[in-house]
Amino acid sequence: MGGQACVFYGAAQFSKDVDFLILAKEENFEGLHAALAELDAVRIAIPRFDPRVLDRGHAVHYRCRAVGVEGLRVDVMTKLRDLPDFCVLWERRTTITEEDGREFHLLSVPDLVNAKKTQRLKDWPMISALVEGHYEAHSEEPTAQRIEFWLRESRTEERLLDLAARFPSEAAAMSATRPLLALAITPCLPRLREALDAEVRAEQEKDRIYWEPLKREMEEFRRAERAAS
Amino acid sequence: MKFEDWPEEWQEWAKLTPLERFRESEKIFAQYLAMGGSLDPDPDPTSPFYDPETSGSGAAYGRPGLRVLRRSAV
Repeated sequence: MGGQACVFYGAAQFSKDVDFLILAKEENFEGLHAALAELDAVRIAIPRFDPRVLDRGHAVHYRCRAVGVEGLRVDVMTKLRDLPDFCVLWERRTTITEEDGREFHLLSVPDLVNAKKTQRLKDWPMISALVEGHYEAHSEEPTAQRIEFWLRESRTEERLLDLAARFPSEAAAMSATRPLLALAITPCLPRLREALDAEVRAEQEKDRIYWEPLKREMEEFRRAERAAS
Repeated sequence: MKFEDWPEEWQEWAKLTPLERFRESEKIFAQYLAMGGSLDPDPDPTSPFYDPETSGSGAAYGRPGLRVLRRSAV
């Protein structure tokens, strides 16, 4: 769901870890632990694995020690901020199949874009690349859903100007939910840039607020582990 | 930056199929490891997972772990 998904979608060239979003069910946890055992993975940070902790939005971090994957980090989550439940994300996933039948199940591009709206600076260029790559791949076949996605998520001023010119009625309709589209319809590049930056700051603030109690909780976990060791 | 304005090598990368990218990425990853690249997370104070006490000193050769194909002014 993270950097590896960005590789599949063309927004990155490689990722140093693998992030998994899994359905919080007992049998999945058993499967996860079996896979982690096969990878000889050990937990490397707080929190400990606990379904209740995962359900609150935490990630559990592992490092593999098995031959061939030494050092590889694996992160596991069951919940993502502002994204629907796993079952909805699963329905919307992208599946890529290898010739040998292996399947890769990825967050859909729109869901991945939402998952990347974090306080981390490195995620925002990735969002731009994901949307631009999607537009390049599908611009010849603009469905209503795709147009809405491009207008909702495009982060490139020039692209927004293009979209507003190409899909004026859709852009006008969507400007109620994304006001900066008005600055692309009646072009005003400097204000559009400012508005895009303000959007990022607002999302980063939302992410900070979301993580604030979780960070406090992580600090408590950290203290408890230090006290126990 | 619009796709049309991306450097040629980024455009070529984006034009590969997802599976082609996955295979190429595996090669880049292997090369990265062969050159002594670290699998530690890059220190990122903007990440909620950042812990100054346990964070590493940075990527080998100063390279980022997740190579971004483009950067905007954001």
